Amino acid sequence: MIPGKYRSVSGRATNNVNCGLHLVIQTSSLPEKNKVEFKLHKETPSFPGRLLQHDLERNYSSRQGDGRVISPSPRNKSSCISSTTNVTELCGLEMKTTTSSLSAFGDSSIQTPSKSRIRQGCHSAGPNVSGDHINLVSSSMPSFPILQRSSEEKILYSDRLTLERQKLTVCPIIDGEEHLRLLNFQHNFITRIQNISNLQRLIFLDLYDNQIEEISGLSTLRSLRVLLLGKNRIKKISNLENLKSLDVLDLHGNQISKIENVSHLCDLRVLNLARNLLSHVDNLNGLDSLTELNLRHNQITFVRDVDNLPCLQRLFLSFNNISTFESVCCLADSTSLSDITFDGNPIAQESWYKHTILQNMMQLRQLDMKRITEEERRMASVIAKKEEEKKRESQKQSLLKEKKRLTINNVARKWDLQQHRVTSIAANQDRKDSDSPSQDPGQVDGSTISAFPEETGSLDSALGNALQGLSVTDTHLVEVDGDTLSLYGSGALESLDRNWSVQTAGMVTTVSFTFIEFDEIVQVLPKLKIKFPNSLHLKFKETNLVMLQQFNALAQLRRIDQLTIDPQGNPVVSFTLWKYYVLFRLSHFSMQKINGTEVTQNDMIMAERLFGILAHVASSELPQYRLISILGDARKKQFRYLLETKGKKPGIVSEENNDSKRLVGENTNRATLNYTTRDFYNEKLEEIKEKKKFCKMYIEDLVKEATEINMKNEALQKLWPQMFIELVRDAVIEIRNKSSYMKLCLQQITDQK
Amino acid sequence: MATERAGTWLPEAGKLELGSCCGPRMLSPERLALTDYEYLAQRHVLTYMEDAVCQLLENKEDISQYGIARFFTEYFNSVCQGTHVLFREFSFIQATPHNRASFLRAFWRCFRTVGKNGDLLTMKEYHCLLQLLCPDFPLELTQKAARIVLMDDAMDCLMSFSDFLFAFQIQFYYSEFLESVAAIYQDLLSGKNPNTVIVPTSSSGQHRQRPALGEASMLEGVEASLFYQCLENLCDRHKYSCPPPALVKEVLSNVQRLTFYGFLVALSKHHGINQALGALPDKGDLMHDPAMDEELERLLAQVPGLVNSVTASSEASCLPSRTPPRVGSPWRPLHHARKVDAESDGSTEETDESET
Repeated sequence: MIPGKYRSVSGRATNNVNCGLHLVIQTSSLPEKNKVEFKLHKETPSFPGRLLQHDLERNYSSRQGDGRVISPSPRNKSSCISSTTNVTELCGLEMKTTTSSLSAFGDSSIQTPSKSRIRQGCHSAGPNVSGDHINLVSSSMPSFPILQRSSEEKILYSDRLTLERQKLTVCPIIDGEEHLRLLNFQHNFITRIQNISNLQRLIFLDLYDNQIEEISGLSTLRSLRVLLLGKNRIKKISNLENLKSLDVLDLHGNQISKIENVSHLCDLRVLNLARNLLSHVDNLNGLDSLTELNLRHNQITFVRDVDNLPCLQRLFLSFNNISTFESVCCLADSTSLSDITFDGNPIAQESWYKHTILQNMMQLRQLDMKRITEEERRMASVIAKKEEEKKRESQKQSLLKEKKRLTINNVARKWDLQQHRVTSIAANQDRKDSDSPSQDPGQVDGSTISAFPEETGSLDSALGNALQGLSVTDTHLVEVDGDTLSLYGSGALESLDRNWSVQTAGMVTTVSFTFIEFDEIVQVLPKLKIKFPNSLHLKFKETNLVMLQQFNALAQLRRIDQLTIDPQGNPVVSFTLWKYYVLFRLSHFSMQKINGTEVTQNDMIMAERLFGILAHVASSELPQYRLISILGDARKKQFRYLLETKGKKPGIVSEENNDSKRLVGENTNRATLNYTTRDFYNEKLEEIKEKKKFCKMYIEDLVKEATEINMKNEALQKLWPQMFIELVRDAVIEIRNKSSYMKLCLQQITDQK
Repeated sequence: MATERAGTWLPEAGKLELGSCCGPRMLSPERLALTDYEYLAQRHVLTYMEDAVCQLLENKEDISQYGIARFFTEYFNSVCQGTHVLFREFSFIQATPHNRASFLRAFWRCFRTVGKNGDLLTMKEYHCLLQLLCPDFPLELTQKAARIVLMDDAMDCLMSFSDFLFAFQIQFYYSEFLESVAAIYQDLLSGKNPNTVIVPTSSSGQHRQRPALGEASMLEGVEASLFYQCLENLCDRHKYSCPPPALVKEVLSNVQRLTFYGFLVALSKHHGINQALGALPDKGDLMHDPAMDEELERLLAQVPGLVNSVTASSEASCLPSRTPPRVGSPWRPLHHARKVDAESDGSTEETDESET
């Protein structure tokens, strides 16, 4: 058993060396090694968990380090020996390679038998060698023991020396062993590398699990290929300048915080920096042969320079602190990389992780120890495409949003201009309008957009029909967002004429008006009522609500649950009474909220207290004809609109009729309080003026006629007594001479005949 | 009910003599000095006739349904009652003294509750209330009225209802007269003898006078007696309504010198003038209108879904009848802190409704 084990050690050793030596050692020990290797392979099932039991603690780190170091070697070897071994053997080797490297990455304690066997071999060999054949003699110098081997030993293992678990605190002086190629100091307490500078033919140096704090004493070992310094206390990579042919460098389990001084290692194939304190990866230039880089269990947040490693195939970044793809994006540029791990990083938790990696690294064959299938790749590309689309969509959205913003700004600017004009006109008309300028200075921030009218234009053409229900022009904006219809600018009111789908129209419960004169809104309210029958919440912002009276206009709507009047651009909100007036005038809606605050019963009572009398006076004291005419006006207005729409929607019209009747019936005493827009009112005043003019003339004529008649009558009354007397006198005088009078009469009668 | 109330309030200022056209007054010397037409115009009969016909024209379809005779009856009845000015255009409202008085009364009746609630409002808000009754009521008049209360240009200050109402009464009812007075005052300030030329200027008169007032602040306005002479002269010749000269004399006799705004404030606070005008009750009774309060309680009972409050308010409704009118109303503001104590900002006089 012992020789077998022993051989396995040598097999492993040669193996390890082999990975660096290629042809050199291969030629020398090829047959034997092959035998050992295959034998081990065949024994695989018979040693399942032996090592697991008695080597767990070492397992943890050695698996990381050694396993990784070893993993490439058989493969490498297999390629070297492919000329001598047959195909089946090769297959077996290859399989073993994969299994061993697999187990190396897994952090669990499960180990593949093949690997544990190797370790076991090397482990058990140590005490054997040292106990039986090696004498450690304390030298003349007090601190360094001198090593001597029997000549028999020397002949048997002329090129290797194992001093494993010897509790060494320093490197012993090794005399007369200049031909040594392999030196093993595993599991000692060595704090400094010393006394080996004479071993110039050394190829393999294993100082795993010691207490070395600094890399030193290696400058003469020019042929060193494998340097294993795992599980030490090294803080800095240094003093490797002369090790130009280094093939494997294992520094796992140290305290290295920075990759440095390695750029000259152009033959280095394997670099293990697992379990160090690296915060980032860079300075990798010059490592032109590096095929495997192990960086597991560090605190790496970003990776650079990896695209400068032309041979890198395997990169292990598990258990680090990588959270974005951007921080490792150089990996996408590496053409040689075929195997990568990210497990245990924040990035691996992301939903986009897998497909992003796959999409960006087409050359990858394994990700997180799993072979990438075609299916996955397809999925990734599909997802990536979707992602792309989504991105484009969101970009479009943001463009639209931006455009919306610009348009709103534009509308705002126009509104301000208009307001300014209006107020300045008003100021001209009425110089005492003391607060006219106070309205605008706060809002003249729209100047930023003025520079981009062309841009909005181009955006418009690009996105013209991108979204349904959203029509954007420079002067106004109509937007349906969920249950909210937002109108910006007076032009937007025209959209109410459009044919809205029943669904959309039914869904809209909130209508918001911004930058529109309230008077203009009033004119479309009947339309709003019909087109959006479910609108319950009205919002007004920058609508020039200045008078309580204007709220009267809202009474004609079907229903309002909520009213929001933004103080901006609506001076009426500054009045203490406005809420109560709204409640009073729109009491038939039994509103729930005004400007976001619940309406309480007290509010209702208060409203009634304040304005109840007004309604009472208005309804009970108006003469009948006025009542009819005022109510009639409102009704007439409705009828006029109904006539316009009658042809299209007879059903709604009849409903409308009932509605208006109900409204009037419910609320007669309030209905007299209605609002006519200023233009309409002025029109009416003009009309009245005309009528008045006519009436004035008419009355004037009448009165003049009457007074004339009166005067004539008076004159007649005055004259009449005198006239009567005169008449009687004449008559008396005429008939005084009776005979002549009779004659005269007779004469007349005869004449008549 | 409406007629009853109208019976209690006889418009003294309106001097409406519709029914007296054919009466013995026809032969009064004043009447004989004028032609019939002139007389009718002077008594504003023509105005109402014109307006009646105009209204008839306006609503001819509706009116023809229930009879033209009925319409004229209603029209002239409403003129008598003063309800004819509700919701009418401003040109009509200011057309006759009777209309003005009717409007003042309507404003008082409709918004007495606002004052009773103790709210102090800004000029703009009062203007809004005015506009509820007369949609095209000019801002200028409201501003002038506010200026009387606030005395300076701090136009955003809050005013109590009574302060504003009495100032507004003077300003609105005597608006032409006040313009002439402003011109006179201006002339007096600048040392001219206004009796030689009186040009009733436009509204700019008050404006011109303002900077001059600053200059003459040392002298504190003009001499009261001289001012009165000028005003008496004005009253004699003025074709618009003006306050009774005796009362003006009373106002001016109390002081040696006074400023234009001082004069206006004194006018607005003079209860004799208020009585002569006849539109509004005395200041003490300003919040008192039991008939309307009764009506309001009835309305409150109808507010939907208010069961508790009805009982509460009916209790409250008993209070005004038991307590003397000069004691402040038991009607406390529901939401506003009681601001009435601070009510007389801008004005110097205590307001009655703040007493308890």
